[in-house]
Amino acid sequence: MAATALEIRDLSKSYVVNGAPLPVLAGISLDVAPGEFVSVVGASGCGKSTLLRLIVGLEQEHDGRLAYDGRPIDGPGRERAIVFQEHRLFPWLTAVQNVEAGLARSDLGKSERRRIALEHLALVGLSNFAEALPKQLSGGMAQRVAIARALVSRPGLLLLDEPFGALDALTRSHLQREVLRIVRQEGLSAIIVTHDVDEAILLGDRVVVMQPHPGRIAEVIVEEEGPAREPGTPEAVALRRRILHRLGED
Amino acid sequence: MTSTTSAVDLPLPSGAVARPRRLFLPHPRRLLPVLEGLVLPAVLLGAWALTSHQGWLPAQILPGPGSVLDAFRELLASGELGDHIRASLSRVILGFALGGGLGLLLGVAMGVSRAASEIIEPVFVWFAQVPPIALAPLLILLVGIDEALKVLIVAKAAMIPLAVNTAEGVRNVPRQWREVGRVFGFSPARTVFGLVLPAALPTVFSGVRTGLTHAWLTLVAVELIASTEGLGYLMVWGRQLFQLEFVLLSVVVIALIGFALDRGLNRIEARIGAWR
Repeated sequence: MAATALEIRDLSKSYVVNGAPLPVLAGISLDVAPGEFVSVVGASGCGKSTLLRLIVGLEQEHDGRLAYDGRPIDGPGRERAIVFQEHRLFPWLTAVQNVEAGLARSDLGKSERRRIALEHLALVGLSNFAEALPKQLSGGMAQRVAIARALVSRPGLLLLDEPFGALDALTRSHLQREVLRIVRQEGLSAIIVTHDVDEAILLGDRVVVMQPHPGRIAEVIVEEEGPAREPGTPEAVALRRRILHRLGED
Repeated sequence: MTSTTSAVDLPLPSGAVARPRRLFLPHPRRLLPVLEGLVLPAVLLGAWALTSHQGWLPAQILPGPGSVLDAFRELLASGELGDHIRASLSRVILGFALGGGLGLLLGVAMGVSRAASEIIEPVFVWFAQVPPIALAPLLILLVGIDEALKVLIVAKAAMIPLAVNTAEGVRNVPRQWREVGRVFGFSPARTVFGLVLPAALPTVFSGVRTGLTHAWLTLVAVELIASTEGLGYLMVWGRQLFQLEFVLLSVVVIALIGFALDRGLNRIEARIGAWR
């Protein structure tokens, strides 16, 4: 296995606003190793969502190098899946049909698709809700279905764009731990983009702190497994203070 | 682990999963609004009966409900009413299928492609301003006064709302959903049939309803001008014979059929949009 799953080298991106280029990302360099969970934390407007959209391939124009498994990224691909902040399930499909939509690229038979989709619903604890429509699911359940949809095609890299931001605190806390468990269990690389510092500390093997105007990396903090991960421990509080301090400078 | 975390989420509301529905009959609970809806028709019927009974208007001009009922029985028994209804319905169905299908295709083209929209839309907006019935003088010269005339005019009436609504529905498919299709690699066919059309369906369907209503109204108008059968013709015939009960009977039957068409589509629409 290559030592680098995702390679980002000197990545820059501008939008054209009122005829003038507006830089949103400048000189981003970051490698993500196989099986590594990276948190990207920053205030809104720091370009962190744009970074994810570039990695997943929804946006393509950029300067610098962006490659997965050694191949430049030139659009969406099976090996990179994303969970958005909103669940984005198709409301006219049942939960299991929504998960099956994640298999659009595969040439598996109908019954095989169904079996794999049900397996992934079970992975997120929703076996009993396979036939429910999205409007019948709570926000947390809908987001679980979206996670199952992202995982069903067995991607190597899971991208999470503030996926728990719209959920209540208790549901959020449960889902964070569940995603961590699944990512470890499946041996995935993952990147979560968030403005919640505690979430970044809990999930990330490394925390990438970004600053805005234009979006750039201020600091990359390597975390060990252990008390520094758990909110409320002295180590976590110290780390939190350090990140907040970084976010405060501009 | 999963069982404890699932407990955080709200349970599924009981009975929320698809239960059998009746398409056309109202639920007993909904009978009261239906009864309320009958109040005004009953009052009008009473006023009509009273007017003709008191002789405020001569019977040749306003026949009473009784003579209209007699006319109904007579035409029903002779099979004439059935023939007229059949003639009108088959024209509306044919015209609606033709115009609606064309409108759907045009609408999808205008909604999907900016180029198609720029080519089609100006002509389309211009054409939409022409009342369908105003095409009759020109079309009579081109296709004569037979079935083709009625079908084409009805088709024109149905096409416009379908094209407009389809284009709007297709254009307004949320970008968020389109992005999901791109991320998971939907084929062009799946994007159209599995994403764009289902998302646009509620809007398209209100175009279907408007289109069918327009088709029905226009058909009756064209039958007044040029036909030898159909409900519009029955009206003309009744007027020429000065048998106004046939005219009134036609009015009632036309209204009832239009009402039934609209309500039927309303039910289908509610069912199609059940996921909302």
